[in-house]
Amino acid sequence: MSEMQTIKDMPTNDMFISGHGACAGCGMAVAVKNIMRILGADTTVYVPASCLVVISAMYPTSNFRTPYLFTAFENTGAVTTGIRAAQRRRGLSSTVVGLAGDGGTFDIGLQALSGAAERNEDILYVCLDNEGYMNTGIQRSGATPFGAWTTTTPVGTNVEGKREFKKDLMAIIAAHDPPYAASLSIAHFNDFVKKVEKAKNKKGFRFLHVMTPCVPGWRSDPSMTVEIARLAVETGMWTLYELDEGSARTTYKPQTMLPVTDYLKLQGRFRHMENDDIAKLQEWLCAKWYMHYGNDIEQPVCAVFEKVKRVRHPHEEQLHFI
Amino acid sequence: MFEVRFHGRGGQGAVMAAQTLAEAAVIEGRHAQAFPYFGAERRGAPVMAFARIADRKISIKSQVYEPDLLVVLDESLLDIEPVARGLKPGGKAVINTRKLPTEIDLGMEVECATVPATSIAMEYLKAPIVNTAILGAVAMVCDLFSMGSMQQAIENRFGGKFGEAAARANAAAAAAAYSQTLRGRCKGNRPFVPRRVWLPDWRDIPIGNTLGEGVKDGVTVGPGGAKQNLTGSWRVQTPRYDKEKCVRCLRCWFSCPEGCIKREEDEYVRWDLNYCKGCGICAQVCPVKAIDMMKGGSR
Repeated sequence: MSEMQTIKDMPTNDMFISGHGACAGCGMAVAVKNIMRILGADTTVYVPASCLVVISAMYPTSNFRTPYLFTAFENTGAVTTGIRAAQRRRGLSSTVVGLAGDGGTFDIGLQALSGAAERNEDILYVCLDNEGYMNTGIQRSGATPFGAWTTTTPVGTNVEGKREFKKDLMAIIAAHDPPYAASLSIAHFNDFVKKVEKAKNKKGFRFLHVMTPCVPGWRSDPSMTVEIARLAVETGMWTLYELDEGSARTTYKPQTMLPVTDYLKLQGRFRHMENDDIAKLQEWLCAKWYMHYGNDIEQPVCAVFEKVKRVRHPHEEQLHFI
Repeated sequence: MFEVRFHGRGGQGAVMAAQTLAEAAVIEGRHAQAFPYFGAERRGAPVMAFARIADRKISIKSQVYEPDLLVVLDESLLDIEPVARGLKPGGKAVINTRKLPTEIDLGMEVECATVPATSIAMEYLKAPIVNTAILGAVAMVCDLFSMGSMQQAIENRFGGKFGEAAARANAAAAAAAYSQTLRGRCKGNRPFVPRRVWLPDWRDIPIGNTLGEGVKDGVTVGPGGAKQNLTGSWRVQTPRYDKEKCVRCLRCWFSCPEGCIKREEDEYVRWDLNYCKGCGICAQVCPVKAIDMMKGGSR
């Protein structure tokens, strides 16, 4: 069978079926459903503590039509390694996928993830990034963006939302030099299909990073989930790229950079943000944009920040973004 | 012991209503407890919350199975689950609806009060959060607490969390509901269909908790067993599909979180409304506006 390239090539067979308990308009459910369609029936799923456990695997039922395992929060890398080792021992082979949230990847699961990546285990690790601990009631994580409101980065008189920028997880992954790593968006359909298909067919440690808008956590309208994911790419909040056998490339480049306010205004978690903070976020985004897409075309929204064009990422050489 | 069970949808404020009710009882000098149903329900899903009121210290900690008072925050729940299950024969019910009590069918004939809490909430709070309005009706029906202590409880609870203006608006909504409550007796024609559950003892649970596909006590278990969970009951708006306009891009099929959009052989799509939660993503992503969202959860 030739490789899947577009939505039309995708199998119609659902491996993650209807009847789950996710909120209406859940971005994570969109991502998981399509990843499972592409991976197919010959897959073993591991999920650490996250929304995905709660919505899809309330004992005695499950929404996955594949074997499914759940243990603790911090060990996605270790458990998927173990499942794969058991399969090797028994002479079986199937795609072993770990579907972890951003808390279970950026923060709590980082050591097991790093271990599995360093050993180049034959597993697929998917980070479903909704930028916070949404399952337990919207706490901040290493993935929460600058300025966002969460219950642990409240909006008060002295501090308004999170003060730190989002952790660059992909740089950490890239430092392990995995065979394949890519960032995905649920709004860029064909790009999504190609990357998951590529990750499925490779051997060794593969990492996929999906942005999954969260309706209650981001205080957004359920119908706008995919639109928010699209605007994240158009404003530079999210970049679509892949690291394939050590060479990096961006897989989609927006025509012009939209101002970040287009993205912020659809989400209640940024409602409090004032001009100073928006400018600070925009400046950080401009530096990120020029790093990813090159600085030969000047972006109008970045014209006020004179120095950002010269800012170079400290890990630029390792990331192979030249 | 006076036991109350609230039925609502995630996001309507059923838990807050139970807590406020308990606080009103405490203001009256009684003992009270309030707690939500412990489950995995998300926004829009049918949820429950409970409250207990007594003159002595309450030691029981279980859910309320046989309530004296039933509070239904969303009328559409009457059609999708047997809300009156376990209600004591002499019990009472308070229902958020524009209908008369005699038009309501709970499956058992009890004293029933109705109140148009949604329109009251829209008037006073500019949002369909009906929990405080319905508490006004509860104060009307129950002689355990006065309207004064109910309003005091609302102001305490909402003032601390959302500020003084919100507290006053919520108390005003409760007062309006108090005066608009209609009392009567409801009908008892609806048959009860209890939901099947599998309640294994320890010998029935396989080693390692690993379940294969199968049926236990009428419940589908194991991989794929969740298909019996018909999430279409969450829906408050329904997609309408115009096949003439459809360009078969399959964006809606890809973007549906529920997987309830089915792809036909000819690449047109159809909806399995048993599972559609009515999020509206399909209408939003459609490039030719072949889908629009109609109000209401019906087909």
